[in-house]
Amino acid sequence: MTILQQLDSPLIRRALLEAVLVGALCGAVGVHVLLRRLPFFTLALSHAAFPGVVLASLLGVSVYLGGALASLGLVLAVAAIGSSRRLEASTATGVALAGAFAVGVLLQSAQSGGSRDLAAFLVGDVLTVSPRDLATTAAFGLIVVGGLALFHKDLVFAAFDPVGAKAAGYRTAGLEVLVLALVALTVVTSIRAVGTILAVALLVTPALTARQWTDEIGRMMALSALFGALAGVGGIAASAQWSVAGGSAIALTATGLLVITVAFQQARRALLPGGRQPSGVTAGRCG
Amino acid sequence: MVRLLVEPFRDAYMQRALIEVLLLSGLAGIVSVYVLLRRLAFVGDALTHTIFPGVAIAFVAGQSLFLGALVAGLLSAVLLTWASRIPTVDQDAALGVLVGAFFSLGVVIVSTRQSYTADLTALLFGRILTVDTAEIIQTAVITAAVLVVLALLHKELVLRAFDPVAAEAMGYRVMALDLVVNGLVALVVVAGVRAVGTVLVIALLVVPGAIARLVTDRIGGLLVVSVGAAALCGYVGLAASYEASLNHRVRVGSGATIVVALTVAFLGAATVTTLVRRRRPAPTTPQADPVPA
Repeated sequence: MTILQQLDSPLIRRALLEAVLVGALCGAVGVHVLLRRLPFFTLALSHAAFPGVVLASLLGVSVYLGGALASLGLVLAVAAIGSSRRLEASTATGVALAGAFAVGVLLQSAQSGGSRDLAAFLVGDVLTVSPRDLATTAAFGLIVVGGLALFHKDLVFAAFDPVGAKAAGYRTAGLEVLVLALVALTVVTSIRAVGTILAVALLVTPALTARQWTDEIGRMMALSALFGALAGVGGIAASAQWSVAGGSAIALTATGLLVITVAFQQARRALLPGGRQPSGVTAGRCG
Repeated sequence: MVRLLVEPFRDAYMQRALIEVLLLSGLAGIVSVYVLLRRLAFVGDALTHTIFPGVAIAFVAGQSLFLGALVAGLLSAVLLTWASRIPTVDQDAALGVLVGAFFSLGVVIVSTRQSYTADLTALLFGRILTVDTAEIIQTAVITAAVLVVLALLHKELVLRAFDPVAAEAMGYRVMALDLVVNGLVALVVVAGVRAVGTVLVIALLVVPGAIARLVTDRIGGLLVVSVGAAALCGYVGLAASYEASLNHRVRVGSGATIVVALTVAFLGAATVTTLVRRRRPAPTTPQADPVPA
């Protein structure tokens, strides 16, 4: 294993730490993305963060700030387009996604010779994280995990039964905004490690993997964070071993974990007929 | 004004770019309506990412990019249709996994090469100004094939979009119809992604249909407005990027300019229709409902 010989290098240690932090964070938040069926919205968020990141790097301000502001813009745009009632949410999301992404590319192409930076924003560049990036990741991660822990019961209730939650006096619209904001913050945090496009992979795949093992939400979040962190370690190791792109190796490791899980569960079900069948735990389908 | 709209297309390369854009507008404008009716915006976006490894493998192996995209596109259409019918897995989650897996695979393959970032950028954003006659012919063939399939299956596809339960009860094979639509979307992506890039293709698949939906309620009207809007924005976007790059020294990508033109057209249509509708009662919404009430 090349990775074991390279552990002395602070570069590799930082990359490992960042990958583990981002993987665990995305894993935990991913369960809520799955519960509220937000994968497409997450993909749109990650595309929309892109023009903000490009603009911020052109102006020389923090890319996190740029990404966060652009994500906020997307949330507002989707809400505005969707409120027209003639277009449903996925079309509104698609329009906002395409427009935002094109603005990012335009900004990028107006500036000459930036294809290296462009690729770094799109697919991440985990080997170049600085101690400051690590601190930012840890701080954002704490905020997001704190938000999830504080409102855990409310969030789960509102996801499974929005009508009931509203009747019980919960402010469901506020909870919805909270989830979207936490997802947006997570996407922005993971840009350094896996880039804008692949953030969706880390936000969906570990959660779906954890979902194959348990029906209980708290346990699912813990398992999902574990799978996310494992994907981070595995991806960095694979990247060091075969010198391939780090962010993509992380995403592919996450996919590998899912494939192994599904194969294992299929085999177990085939060998033990009458065993536990997972029930559809996604909220809102039978409403 | 005439100078702005006509002069850019004196050169042969701009004429070829215009032909390619107009062909794609016709193709994507029509398929866009089905994407709208079936709410397939996410599927469209997913396909633009999932054909990427096909292009990457073909690129590294020195094979035809078109062939690589075609194989990966059709393969991922089959996978998407299959994955979205697993009862315990939410369709959006399945799409998210496939996007992540396929796209990363493509990036990993491209990253084994030295000139990785420049190649990646070219694959993602396309180069419409260097489109050649062979590529235009490929686009034309795909357009013709898609139009023939849609002409034959239009009624069935609309029925499935509005009432999947009835379609099933009448003996239509809904899964086969879904496969056809996903396959058509994949073909549009294949035709467009190499010449104009991921960004433009997803915009062409979603925005024209959305513009049309703001303006009209009828399926025939949707098709006409969608194609018209796509073609007009393609033309204006190409001319604008030419003007900006040549006479104002601002280098802007043609593909991205076309998308911005589409977005502006959408915002314009949204503003106008909102103002007009203020004076009239709201019409009913004839959008396909996946969950029968």
